[in-house]
Amino acid sequence: MLLSITAAWADDTVVLVTSSESPITNISSLEIRKAYLGISVRIAGSTVRPIRQREDDRLNQIFLQSVIAMSQKSYERRLLSMMLKFGTPRPGEADSREGLIKTLQSNPFAIGYMWKSDADSDPRIHAVVVLWQQN
Amino acid sequence: MTSRPKMPHRNRWRAAMLTKILMLVTLASSQLARAQSPHDMLVFLSVEGVEMFSASDPLLEVSDVHATADFLYTYNSDRFRFLAEYIWSDTESEMERLQAAWVIDDKNILWLGRFHTISNFWASEYHHGQYMQTSISRPALEEWEDESGPMPSHVTGAWFEHEIASANQSAINLGFAAGLAPRFEGQQLEAFDVLDPESGHDLAATGRLVYRPDVLSANQLGMTVSHNDIAVVSDSHPSLTDLNAIRQATFGVFASWQWEKWRLSSNLVYFDIDMQYNDGTVNDEFLLGYVQAEYEASEEWTIFGRTEFGDSEDDSVYLSLLPGFVAHRQMLGLRWDFANRHGLTLEIADTSLQADTVRHDSFKEVRLQWAAVIR
Repeated sequence: MLLSITAAWADDTVVLVTSSESPITNISSLEIRKAYLGISVRIAGSTVRPIRQREDDRLNQIFLQSVIAMSQKSYERRLLSMMLKFGTPRPGEADSREGLIKTLQSNPFAIGYMWKSDADSDPRIHAVVVLWQQN
Repeated sequence: MTSRPKMPHRNRWRAAMLTKILMLVTLASSQLARAQSPHDMLVFLSVEGVEMFSASDPLLEVSDVHATADFLYTYNSDRFRFLAEYIWSDTESEMERLQAAWVIDDKNILWLGRFHTISNFWASEYHHGQYMQTSISRPALEEWEDESGPMPSHVTGAWFEHEIASANQSAINLGFAAGLAPRFEGQQLEAFDVLDPESGHDLAATGRLVYRPDVLSANQLGMTVSHNDIAVVSDSHPSLTDLNAIRQATFGVFASWQWEKWRLSSNLVYFDIDMQYNDGTVNDEFLLGYVQAEYEASEEWTIFGRTEFGDSEDDSVYLSLLPGFVAHRQMLGLRWDFANRHGLTLEIADTSLQADTVRHDSFKEVRLQWAAVIR
C-alpha cells in the first residue's frame, strides 16, 4: 500500500531531466525559466538547450503555469518574437517521451521535463530538480 | 498613400492565386522536426482587404486586396547566427533581411548584412511578421520606405549589440549600427538591395538604448538617435529637381509596456532635416508620434486603438516629397485569435494626409485581415 501511495505521488510530480551523462547537476528555477524563454544560460561553459515535450497536454499545462508563468499564447508569441527579432533559437521540441530521451542523450547540455515516475524508471536520464509537485 | 493603388487585372489575378496558394500551404502545413536542428523556419502569411472612402477627393478612394508571404529562416550554432527574411506578395518580391552574426559572448553580438534600422522601433519589433503586430496598419512614422515612410527602414552594414545585465534581472541594451542608407528616388526612399546592388547610397548611423526592467518580460523603454545622409536621384521626379541631398537627424523615445490586460506602445521622434538644393540649404524640423493602446479582453479577443499626431509636420518640405505619408490617423480595431496561430482583424480609421496651405485631404479606412504563422 505504501508503494502504491508513493507511486501515485510520483505521478503528480514534474521534474527537470537531463541525460544520465550530463554535467548539469544543479540549475536554478530562474535559469530554467530564462532558458525556456530564449535567454542564453551557460553552465560549465556551454549553452543550455531547452527541449519541450509536446505529447502530454497536462504536463505542458503544468510547465506553462509553473515554470514559464505564461499562457500558451503568450509563451508562443514570445518565442516567435525572439526568433523574428534576433534569430534566437526556439526551444527544441520532442513529439514523445522516447524522442525527448534520445535528444537528451545526444546533447549533454540539453534539458527537458517529464513526470517523476517516468524519470525514475529510466536509467538513461537523471532528474535534476523538482519543477512542480501536487500538494 | 499607405495603401496601394487599384491593381490592374493581371495583378488581381496574381493576388487571387497567391491567396489560394497561401491557404493550401496553411492547410497542408506540417511542423519541422525541431528536436535538435540548428535550422529553423517560420512563414508569416496574410491577406488584407482595404477600402478607402473620401468625401473630399475621389482620387483618394481605393479598393484593394493584398496577399503576402514572409519567409524567415535562421541558422544557429554556438558562435554563429544567420538570418534571412524574404517577402513575396502580389506587389513585391524582395530579400528584406540578410544578416549573419558573430555571437561574441552572451552579452555581445555583431551582425553584418542587411537589417532593419534599429532606430525604427516598429520595424525592429515586428519586421514583416504581420501576424505578430496586433493592428493591421503600421504607424505612418514607422512605415516602410516604399510606403511613404519618412525614415530609413533598411540599412546594409554592421550592427553591434551589447547588454548590461544587473542582478535584479533588469538590463540595458546598447545598439550601434552603421551602413548604407537608402537614397531618395521618385517619391520614396529606396533601400540598398543586396540582390541588386547599385551605387549612390551614403551613410546611415544609428544608436539605440533600451532599458528592460525585467529581462523575463517584454516591457521596454528606449531612446534612439540617427544620422542619415540620403542621396537624391534628382532627375527621377520633378519634385526632386535641384535637390542634391538630404541630411536627416532623428532623436526618438519609445515605450512598450504591458500591465495586466493592457498594453501600451508609443514612439515620439524629432526630425531635423537639411534639404540641400543647388542654391542653398533649407532646414526642416518636425515631430511625429503615436500612442497605441491594446486591451486583451480574453485569450481570443483584443480591442485596440491608435492615435497618430505631429507638430509642424504639415509645413514640412521633406514630408511633401512623400505624397502617401499619413499625417494624422485615429484608429480603432478588433482582433480575434483563433485556431493555432491565426488572427482575424478589423480596423477602421479616420485619416488625413499632409495639409496643403488650406486643408487636409481626409479619408476613412476600413481594413480586414487574416494573418497566420506556420512554424
